[in-house]
Amino acid sequence: MVDPIFDYQFRLILIGDSTVGKSSLLKYFTDGKFAELSDPTVGVDFFARIIEVQDGTRIKLQLWDTAGQERFRSITKSYYRNSVGALLVYDVCNRSSFEHIPLWMMEAKRHIEPHRPVFALVGCKIDLAGSDSKNGARRQVTLEEAQQFAEQNGLHQLETSAKTGFNVENAFLIVAQDVYNRIQSGEYKVEDGWDGIKTGFNRPNGMDFNLLEAETVQSTCC
Amino acid sequence: MHTSDSEDFESADEGHGSPEKKERKKRLSSSNYSDNALETAQQPQEPKSSSTSVKNVAKETDGWDDFDIDDNEPIAPPPSKANVPDKKLEVEQKQSNVKADQKSQDTGWDDFDDWGQDDATSTQKTEPPKPQAKPQPAQPDPNIKEVTDRLAAASTGGSGGWGWGWSVDSLLSTATAGISNITSQVSQGISTVLETGIGAPDPEELARSSLRANEAKAKAPAPINTAEDVTVQGGATEGPPGPGNAGDAAFPFGSLFSGVSKFVETTGTKVISGGLDTLETIGKKTMEVLQDGDPGLAKKRALLGLGAGDKPVLSQVLREAKAKADEDDRVREEKREAKEVHYENLFDDFEGLVHLEALEMLSKQVSMRIEERMRSVDADKRQDIKETLQQVAELCEMPEEEEDDHEAPSEGVSKADAFHERLQAATQDLGLKLQFQPLVKQYTDILAYISSTEDTAVRAIYKRAVSGLAHSTALSVQQYHKAAEMLLVKPRRSTADEADALTQMTVVLTKHISELATLFTEKLNALPSDNQEQVNTYITNIFLEAGNSSTYIQNAFQLALPILQIGAV
Repeated sequence: MVDPIFDYQFRLILIGDSTVGKSSLLKYFTDGKFAELSDPTVGVDFFARIIEVQDGTRIKLQLWDTAGQERFRSITKSYYRNSVGALLVYDVCNRSSFEHIPLWMMEAKRHIEPHRPVFALVGCKIDLAGSDSKNGARRQVTLEEAQQFAEQNGLHQLETSAKTGFNVENAFLIVAQDVYNRIQSGEYKVEDGWDGIKTGFNRPNGMDFNLLEAETVQSTCC
Repeated sequence: MHTSDSEDFESADEGHGSPEKKERKKRLSSSNYSDNALETAQQPQEPKSSSTSVKNVAKETDGWDDFDIDDNEPIAPPPSKANVPDKKLEVEQKQSNVKADQKSQDTGWDDFDDWGQDDATSTQKTEPPKPQAKPQPAQPDPNIKEVTDRLAAASTGGSGGWGWGWSVDSLLSTATAGISNITSQVSQGISTVLETGIGAPDPEELARSSLRANEAKAKAPAPINTAEDVTVQGGATEGPPGPGNAGDAAFPFGSLFSGVSKFVETTGTKVISGGLDTLETIGKKTMEVLQDGDPGLAKKRALLGLGAGDKPVLSQVLREAKAKADEDDRVREEKREAKEVHYENLFDDFEGLVHLEALEMLSKQVSMRIEERMRSVDADKRQDIKETLQQVAELCEMPEEEEDDHEAPSEGVSKADAFHERLQAATQDLGLKLQFQPLVKQYTDILAYISSTEDTAVRAIYKRAVSGLAHSTALSVQQYHKAAEMLLVKPRRSTADEADALTQMTVVLTKHISELATLFTEKLNALPSDNQEQVNTYITNIFLEAGNSSTYIQNAFQLALPILQIGAV
């Protein structure tokens, strides 16, 4: 808890097959650490981190790390509703995890309705995708096909490594920035009874300042 | 002003490190001259009659008032600006009184002031000012302190040896003299522009005011040295020191300094007047550019939000902006502080709220499923289901307060381990692998904190208590959430056992919370405190938050009820 003050809280959910690396991605993002071994997630776990978007607005990201295991599927779907963003996570060395992405996306869309979340397609473990990888793992999903799928479906897309930290930060920033932009444009707003976006501890008098500015501009043009 | 002037002086002295000089200067502490200036100017004066020196002191105050301000103006924070016009007025008034004393002396002495300034400015350039860790009694004006600090810093960075090294130093600073003069005039000019509301100020007027200021500056300090100073200079150049200074080895150099300073003065004036011409040109040009396509600066003034009636006082705007920023910082700090001891926020930070929320989502979904099931069956079966649901709910009723028989842990088992054992025993029949380590670790940490003597501040303990309670509660709520998730995917349900296990877990957890509260309040009570009322308030709050914690835990338990019930229907 460095600075608990934030302007907005966005709820993002991570979904995808089990063992693709959702929890590792989150662990790296919130702790800066990579755990070689970790227990499979039970139901859902939570992570949080405060970031700043481009104009300096402080956003608390509340991250819902869902279990990928089939047996928790019935539970995890009850958690989708209040998310404003969803990260569709697959393993670049696991073809089927990528092939299940459309299903995950449909599931998310259905449960998050009537809200329309920001989606990002996130490939994990690219540190294992190199041809010189010791683990013998091979890339089974090319960057091109991921890009193509993302383009067709209007998703953000990137490849990450929770081991090296590559692109981990970006994956979350890109979604947060998009959500924030949509708030600015009026597409998203804070709603009662929906927890996707909440206002946090605002900066004091932030509004006053804006009002003052607006008034001045008005007086010059009239 | 006087106190700080002497302060000033002492600090400036430090760098030269001669104790006897320091001593001497203390005696003359009413002067603000820099070292060498003082030597020449004041020493021979000592044997003089006390009446003149008293007079002298009185005048000095006026002269220096002005100087401090001039000196300060470019660097002082906006709030000080308000004083400037007043002081100038004062100085001008004083001048008329003083003129009689001035005689042939005229501006010869302002030069020394420049020395003082220059020394500060020039050395400062090479070395950033460091605040001096020096006791500074009675400082009526923060601006003065700033100057003091700067001087102190400057002198520490100054030439190591007195004597010759010093004069080289001062020659170097001559160049800066002109610059610093110009700088202060530029800023004076700028502030004139800003402070007057007459739209676009005339550059000539600007230049004139600068000149006036310059004159005032030149004249003001003159009275300080009035008649005696002639003698001083004469005495200094002529040679043998007065009897009072026989032991002062450095004194003979005084003549040299006064010569140098004379030189500095004339050069300085030339630089100034030359600089003024340039300034005037620059000023005119600037105004032309500014007014280009914007006659009367109407647009630009409007842009700055300065109405025609209002005075466009930038310093005022800046002051307000500064005050606002300070206020914002303060409010922000307060919020942060408030959040630190705000139970709900802490509970949220420890993910307690979100676990509760997720549990609630599950709970609602499962309740809907139960209702669906009831709708889909016939009336008899529906009645059966209702009864079963009722039975499960009764199993989950919290038992009456029972004997605290488990409070005596077995020999050789730590309190934390005993707590872990109780949790495991309670949830044995749940048939799930719950992870109690975080709760136990948190308990261990609190126990360690309680027995340590690390924190003795009442408030710190209170903060730790609230945060400890919020954390333990969050971890407890998490257990219900995890238990609910696992129960929902559990292949074979045994509702009665599960209900009983969760009830027992709730008993253990709520007792745990009240034990934590007791531990913290005992620690608070054990402290010697001069503010017992405050301590009592904290203790009350701790028990209040403990009650809050128990409520959260029992709510979590109630939210888990449908999950237990669905296993039976």
